[in-house]
Amino acid sequence: MDEDMVFDPSLKKKKKKKTGFDMEAALAEQENTSAEAPAETGDVDVPEDDNLDLDTFGKKKKKKKKPFFNLEEIENALPETPPTEEPEPQEDEVIDDLDLDIDFSKSKKKKKKKNVDELPTEDDVKGEDQENVEDVHGDWIGSDRDYTYDELLERVFDIMREKNPSMVSGKKQKFIMRPPQVVRIGTKKTSFANFTEICKTLHRQPKHLLDFLLAELGTSGSVDGNSQLIIKGRFQQKQIENVLRRYIKEYVTCHTCRSPDTILQKDTRLFFLQCETCGSRCSVASIKSGFQAVTGKRAAIRAKTA
Amino acid sequence: MSIQNLNTFDPFADAIKSSEDDVQDGLVHVRIQQRSGRKTLTTVQGLSSEYDLKKIVRACKKEFACNGTVVEHPEYGEVLQLQGDQRENICQWLTKSGLVKPEQLKVHGF
Repeated sequence: MDEDMVFDPSLKKKKKKKTGFDMEAALAEQENTSAEAPAETGDVDVPEDDNLDLDTFGKKKKKKKKPFFNLEEIENALPETPPTEEPEPQEDEVIDDLDLDIDFSKSKKKKKKKNVDELPTEDDVKGEDQENVEDVHGDWIGSDRDYTYDELLERVFDIMREKNPSMVSGKKQKFIMRPPQVVRIGTKKTSFANFTEICKTLHRQPKHLLDFLLAELGTSGSVDGNSQLIIKGRFQQKQIENVLRRYIKEYVTCHTCRSPDTILQKDTRLFFLQCETCGSRCSVASIKSGFQAVTGKRAAIRAKTA
Repeated sequence: MSIQNLNTFDPFADAIKSSEDDVQDGLVHVRIQQRSGRKTLTTVQGLSSEYDLKKIVRACKKEFACNGTVVEHPEYGEVLQLQGDQRENICQWLTKSGLVKPEQLKVHGF
């Protein structure tokens, strides 16, 4: 169904173009390209094209290869199209105009698509920039029509991508961590085997993370010779993971931009989180274990204090 | 559609409201501690001293079907202790009874 819709306008276009004499050479090429990229052609007039457009956003970036061709051809085509209209008075002029507009945008898109097919993707930034400018101009040359929403959207996305290359992939770089390895030792103790490794990936002092873990879990523990953490009590990996997540949220990721690229500094007895990405600096809560209820044998405590 | 700029906005609305009907200030820490075996203990620290903790603990014991006490601590004031893992229960109960706002609750532990 999509293809039908798409093919209709292109067919019309061919008809019209064939009435013009000089155009045929250029047309041949356009036909080829339209055959190559039937899905992309109907962008402007077919309302269902939103999806298509979105899908192709990723590709369009790479497509900015040869707008030179584009421009020349279009400019060739533009002065020549009026004669085609003159010998063909059967159709309304309004429709003609519309069709021309559509052709215009279409030819551009086809070109882009073609470029993707033909060319390797390694565009150097400089060339891209130049072409981008031309591309943007090429979009609007020779027409004083109203721009469609799709075109404007595409344009703004192109600009965004150009200025912000990290956004090209479409997703933010995720913070990947290895899960904590938690093993039970005997019945009463738990070992957190890759504790130091996790501290390294988080760029935090082991002592700080240790303090936090012990305060949150309400137990005692220490780092042993094999650089693993021994915690008193039974804990599962899921539970430790949960606490680690909370630690990362509070003490590792920036509270403003959520980037994990931060430094924890101690300044006048307070911890400050300095973000390397956005430069923000904010204080974080100090680690307090708070009230600890008596869970052991009271007699033992009494014996200790007395 | 109304024009947003012309809406009257009272900048002190928040301040007045919070001072009026809020006894609880500061965070309420809900913690869990492991005891021997599978047993656990839930502590609630930071409830306002204007509340009658004994009445609260009485209601909680009935509601959660557990035992509990109020412990006096020199630094943290009166602290509620409940047997078992009552973290979710106590959070729901405190917010439902309107003693503590959900954003003032801080749950610790795994």
